[in-house]
Amino acid sequence: MARAISIGRVSSRLGGVALLALLGSATVFFVMRAGQGDPAIAVLGDQATPEAIAAFHKKWMLDDPLVIQFWRWLSSAVMGDFGLSMTVAGGTPIMGLIGSRLPNTLFIGAYALVIAVSVSLFAGTISALRHGKFTDTAATSIAVLGISMPDFWLSYVLVYGLALGLGVFPSYGFTPPAQSLTGALYSGFLPALAIAAPMAAAFTRILRTALLETLYRDHVRVARSLGYRDAFVFIHFVLRNALIPYVTVIGLQIRYLLGGTVVVERIFGIPGVGALMVDAAFGRDYPLVQACALTFLLSVLLVNFVVDLICAALNPRQN
Amino acid sequence: MDEHKLSRRAALKIGAGAAALAGLPWMNSSAFAADELRAGIAGFNVINTLDPAKASLVPEFLVIYGAFNGLLKFNEKMEIVPDLAESYTVVDPTTTEFKLRKGVKFHDGGEMTAEDVKFSIERLMDEKFASPNRGKVTAISAVTVVDPYTVRITTKAPYAPLLNYLTNTRTGTQIVSRKAVEAAGAEGFGRKPVGTGAFMVKDWKSNESVDMVAFDGYFGGKPAIRSVKIPIIAEESSGMTAILGNQIDLTSTAPFADVPGLEKRTAEVTVLKQPGLNTRYFALNVKKAPFDDVHFRRAVSMAFDRNVLVKAAIFGEGVAIPGVLPPSLWPEGKGFTSEYTTFNPAKAKEEMAKSKYGAGTEATVIIWGSNWWRRTGEIMVGMVNQTLGTKFQLQAMEFNAAFAKAKAGDYDALVFGWLGLVDADEYLGEILGSKGFRNIQGYSSPKMDALLEKARSEMDPAKRRQVYREADMLAIEDMPVLPCFCSNVHNLVRPNVKGFSQLPYSNFADQFAKMTVG
Repeated sequence: MARAISIGRVSSRLGGVALLALLGSATVFFVMRAGQGDPAIAVLGDQATPEAIAAFHKKWMLDDPLVIQFWRWLSSAVMGDFGLSMTVAGGTPIMGLIGSRLPNTLFIGAYALVIAVSVSLFAGTISALRHGKFTDTAATSIAVLGISMPDFWLSYVLVYGLALGLGVFPSYGFTPPAQSLTGALYSGFLPALAIAAPMAAAFTRILRTALLETLYRDHVRVARSLGYRDAFVFIHFVLRNALIPYVTVIGLQIRYLLGGTVVVERIFGIPGVGALMVDAAFGRDYPLVQACALTFLLSVLLVNFVVDLICAALNPRQN
Repeated sequence: MDEHKLSRRAALKIGAGAAALAGLPWMNSSAFAADELRAGIAGFNVINTLDPAKASLVPEFLVIYGAFNGLLKFNEKMEIVPDLAESYTVVDPTTTEFKLRKGVKFHDGGEMTAEDVKFSIERLMDEKFASPNRGKVTAISAVTVVDPYTVRITTKAPYAPLLNYLTNTRTGTQIVSRKAVEAAGAEGFGRKPVGTGAFMVKDWKSNESVDMVAFDGYFGGKPAIRSVKIPIIAEESSGMTAILGNQIDLTSTAPFADVPGLEKRTAEVTVLKQPGLNTRYFALNVKKAPFDDVHFRRAVSMAFDRNVLVKAAIFGEGVAIPGVLPPSLWPEGKGFTSEYTTFNPAKAKEEMAKSKYGAGTEATVIIWGSNWWRRTGEIMVGMVNQTLGTKFQLQAMEFNAAFAKAKAGDYDALVFGWLGLVDADEYLGEILGSKGFRNIQGYSSPKMDALLEKARSEMDPAKRRQVYREADMLAIEDMPVLPCFCSNVHNLVRPNVKGFSQLPYSNFADQFAKMTVG
């Protein structure tokens, strides 16, 4: 496994990551600037005088040519310095802002992933094994429902049902995991579920299909005929093969998970990077949007890398 | 069959794991103390500064109201009463003398004196400081310290809005501690404000929350509430679900569409509402076709029904207004209507016939913000197109982009409005005056400017209101904006919370001192 990933492969991978990060940052930078809007309005408000706006532009050097501004941003970002927030948290170092919020986003993301994986392993296995029976139909129908529900809508449905209706979960607010892990698991359940539901549905479907495809293959029949116990056959010869497409799909869905946090964090008031990025975009806090986008980008690339490793481990032939 | 048995077992294991995970923290960790208030600011997401002289956004002031005081304030009947001042006398038309309360303490323990008053107002006046509220004090020529507890404010000419501008509202004239500002510097003070208010800012997490604690040295006595948590809730509907789920005790707003439903849930929440001090309109770019023609502007104004807007866009939570001023600033007892702002399809077509433009005229109406703002635009455009046969289109964007376009004069029409303004000059003077900074229409009328100047120097309140009525009528005649409605202000309060008095300018933290949480 360790040998399977050669140094050359890792370094070419890292080079690709760096290139994508650069391209992504440049895209975000120029797209943000191409749009209308002015951070000065976000800070100084609707009552701002032209002089105050000019002073703000001067302070943040917003009148310089865009290429120079991008170069200035890039050269400090490479050194790990993302500068100060312009509007959302005027004057606060961005590294600190993201650093304090990233654990919350990662927690919710991981929580959602755990829920989605647990549910889909369960539902996918059941519906494959009971192929064509009632359980299968029920699980597949619920999966279709799950895929069709947008997370913002599902969030409010969950709030109305589980928080306001049954009073089981809080309808708003989040206890950071650093403060209390149980508090975070409790207050983060509804937001994580809202993000997890569509993913769980997608995972269930792919797992069911993959299991069904494998279940009746020759090697499975041979294994069974050799007298292995069904559990052994299922885990070693069916599930293991089916896991490759399953894990690949999980990797592909990670970006939706991040997209989900952007919406869901705002609805539930979770102080995470997603909500921060939305606020930053509305306030035209250019350096903060850059930093948040880069954080998301790197997270996605990192996850894809890890998924590749897992797939390689699951499927030695890939090397 | 065997196959099923095992799979069920495996599945059960997984299921049990998931259940354990979800079931693990099965207790409510959001226990709260009885003397803590959880007051959510809903529908806003950004607080940049808590320095009153630098603040401009609504949520910033919602907090500032509780940490600072002005020389004056509004009582529950919206009458001006002394706050940090003990009394005030108008010495002559350009001079007002304020006797200050003795023994008022700042949060840092220092005493508030005439020097702090002079410092606070001169700081606002300072051109280099570039306060967004500087316009409120440019009429002042001098702030003179007579003795430690007496201060005189002199204006260049008689200036009627002065007293309104010295209240604890969105005008930035709250009194700051000179010592604290000088020690912290302008940026630092904005994050660690030192005022005289009943609550001190203890912690502030950008875009998340502000925590306040009671200030026992408050001149109005120790507050019953010992601490206040103020989550900043970006989505207005999340503010509503938060209070229904007992995550907060009080909100700063409520979504219009949900008010009728909320009013039925009396066991969980009380809806406080009243007509607000605000105005909602369409700004028209009078420098650009097709709204450069007054007849066309009037025609459009008569081509849509404001009462429909009130019913359908804000669910009846407001009142249609013929002019720019909200009803509470009208001359007392005199409601009015105007033919140009009354829905009348026949007249509208007649008026359009007098203009350069006819059916088929194109224009883009910019909409932005929350649903009700957008609906306002959608309904107006629909009705006008139907009545006049015009080809108006909608363009949706978010506020920052819309406002940037408006400031640059790069638009045809734009749904717009202001809230929390207390003086008529903030509406008519700043929206319609040729130099008014809220004038994004490019409208300039010497007649209007003369009326506004007259109103500013008219010290008799009743006569002053009459002058503003004239100005409002002139605005309807020239129609640089299409006045629409004035909306209600709302607060949601949990039944166990007592003592919040709602004021029409959207007040908030100023009430914490006299509130209790049962």
